[in-house]
Amino acid sequence: MSILYDEGQQAIATESRRVLDARMDKARLLALLERVGEHDAPFWDTAVEQGWTALAIPEEHGGLGLGLTELGLVAQACGAATSGAPFLTGSYGLSQALVQGGDARLAGELLPRLASGDAKGCVAFAEGNAALPPSPGVVFADGAISGVKPAVPGGCAADVALVWVSSDNGVALVVADLAGARRQPVGSYDNTRLYADLTFDRTPATLIASGEAAKALALDVLARMAVVTAHEQVGGAEALLYTARDYAVTRKAFGQPIGQFQSIKHRIAEMYGLVEVARANCIHAAASEGSDDFLVAVADARISATEAYDTNSRDCVQIHGGIGVTWELGLHLHMRRARSLAVECGNLVFWEDLLVERLAGEAK
Amino acid sequence: MTDLATYRENARAFLESMAPKYGRDARRGNSVERDLALGREYMAAKYDAGFAGINWPVEMGGQGLTHLHKITFDGEEMQFGMPVHFFGISLGMPVPILMHYCEDKDFVKERVRKALRGEEIWCQMFSEPSGGSDLAALRTRVEPDGNGWKMNGQKIWTSWAQYCDYGVIVTRSDPTVEKHKGLTYFWIDMRSKGVDVRPIKLAGGDSHVNEIFFDDVRIEDSQRLGAVGGGFGVSLHTLMIERYIATDSSGFGPHLDEFVKLAKRVELNGRPAIEDGRVRSAIARNHAMRAGLDSITRRAFAMMMAGMQPGPEGSLQKLVAVRSRQKLSEMAMDLMGNEGLAFDPHAFVKTDWGTSWLNAPTGRIAGGSDEVLLNTIAEKILGLPQDYRPDKGVPFNAIPA
Repeated sequence: MSILYDEGQQAIATESRRVLDARMDKARLLALLERVGEHDAPFWDTAVEQGWTALAIPEEHGGLGLGLTELGLVAQACGAATSGAPFLTGSYGLSQALVQGGDARLAGELLPRLASGDAKGCVAFAEGNAALPPSPGVVFADGAISGVKPAVPGGCAADVALVWVSSDNGVALVVADLAGARRQPVGSYDNTRLYADLTFDRTPATLIASGEAAKALALDVLARMAVVTAHEQVGGAEALLYTARDYAVTRKAFGQPIGQFQSIKHRIAEMYGLVEVARANCIHAAASEGSDDFLVAVADARISATEAYDTNSRDCVQIHGGIGVTWELGLHLHMRRARSLAVECGNLVFWEDLLVERLAGEAK
Repeated sequence: MTDLATYRENARAFLESMAPKYGRDARRGNSVERDLALGREYMAAKYDAGFAGINWPVEMGGQGLTHLHKITFDGEEMQFGMPVHFFGISLGMPVPILMHYCEDKDFVKERVRKALRGEEIWCQMFSEPSGGSDLAALRTRVEPDGNGWKMNGQKIWTSWAQYCDYGVIVTRSDPTVEKHKGLTYFWIDMRSKGVDVRPIKLAGGDSHVNEIFFDDVRIEDSQRLGAVGGGFGVSLHTLMIERYIATDSSGFGPHLDEFVKLAKRVELNGRPAIEDGRVRSAIARNHAMRAGLDSITRRAFAMMMAGMQPGPEGSLQKLVAVRSRQKLSEMAMDLMGNEGLAFDPHAFVKTDWGTSWLNAPTGRIAGGSDEVLLNTIAEKILGLPQDYRPDKGVPFNAIPA
């Protein structure tokens, strides 16, 4: 697949950014930070109305049949706007498991609902600090799952979950309707991510893969979500770069714009470098979908995007000085998002290890 | 297969046939003089095989192909470690500038052919003791002398000048106007009377750069390239020619694979170093960074193929890559421990960590220091204001010393 965006892809990038610029409201997002279990309904309504939920779902299931490149571009716009809900990534992860998994009936039933936005998906893989624990504590037996998945992104409001579990046949992936689960919202530093502890107590679940097949599928789903997330991180990092630039050319100190001081201008030039390296990795990762070096490309994208978003959050606040740490200015929306996205879909350590395993020939 | 893919295959076949005689292994232990002689032979062979002057006009003795063909060839050639470094600047900037500005076309054709065959080498004399990054601060003076010019002054950091036959030079012809406006550009014969080339030994032990003194050197007006007072423009043109060159995300040091091999070979605390978290993190971060640079290069290439102008992010390559090579080289030396204390002054930068480390500072200074590159990114790409410039709008001879 080409690493140059075609006209359609460029239109998706421009249009998603335009719509979000017009509809997102910082005051609304700031208020949501102090409420647990609520997301930004105008954001999600926009996502559904614009067809973003349908983008990467196959046409035969009511989707638009596009891929990671297009979804990534939307995610980038969402990242710039510190989007108010996590379902684009969660629903995409679930939909990919359904497309690739072994239950056509379930796929036929759920995919159209995910595409239309009638159903919201989440992905419950992590336990403790492990993104993909080798022996999950949640157990599948007799068509039902039991156990707890902690702080699942989207867990407060998702309808359906893709869950990484243990079973008699080793690890497995199952799909569970969350009507049958107990949700305990987790008060977080980034509340619109809707983290909730999901407790399953003989909750009915459908098996879609087990054993080695489940491992491979879970890793692929996690990698795909990581590409979407990396795009979101690049969008946030880029927004911070230009916020810092705009401030540095207007704010004056010692009789000149602070952007004239090399300590400031070099810092901003470094922010640019981080964004462009991460963006290039994201474009390559999205275009590598389905290829042999996909996981390496994903790890590169994820590592550089996390570094870019974390660094640019720190430095953008620093360049603003005192005003940068105020609640009202809202740079902390990005600071918070940089960290929540860094932890979701496998943290830096996870992707560093995965990458080195492949480079050093340790991976089986 | 595309035209370029076929071209790449042909280039590789040629390079593989040359490698036994001219490649990295064949050159090991060579003196500079022996290496230069080998380099001249290789350049002649390359010329005869039709891989010289790839993107230069046919009427000038080139192959008339595109810039992409040239980058393709250079990228392949770089992997073989051929002795081409003596000719890189010569063919990269001075000779193209001569082709563009010199009106005596027969003279130019002869120079082009000899430069392409490695028989003649050209240097580029820009930097001076009073200014490297600040090019327009130069002081080498030319004064009218009959129907020509007389030059006095000094240049420095001139690569390979001790082996050069000709050079291009930018000089001050009028100190009473603003510093950018009083410059004039010439080509000169390096064997002219009054030219004194003295090699400078660098920290890494080699002496590829020189200082050059000019004592009443006579220059004909026919050697002038561009207008009197137009030297700064010709200088910028010179620096722009090589804007999209073959890049190396390893910062012209060892490939990351070499570091991985080292980390698998040596032990830390009784276990392979590759199992150490610090080592893994360094590998992963460097890989992510280098992969990003490689993707930027591929995208620039794809854009050129589509007839578009590549984005400005290409300017990150040297800044990011050389800096990381310097640090990674330090870590590699740490991993080798005492075993890495042995030093071979003839080792290659791309295969030896000690040599890579010792020569890395040059890479961060030559061709635009890190600081100047950051300024350029900040000002030209991001629109940040220029630094405080007390020399702005002031005649050169009124700038406070």
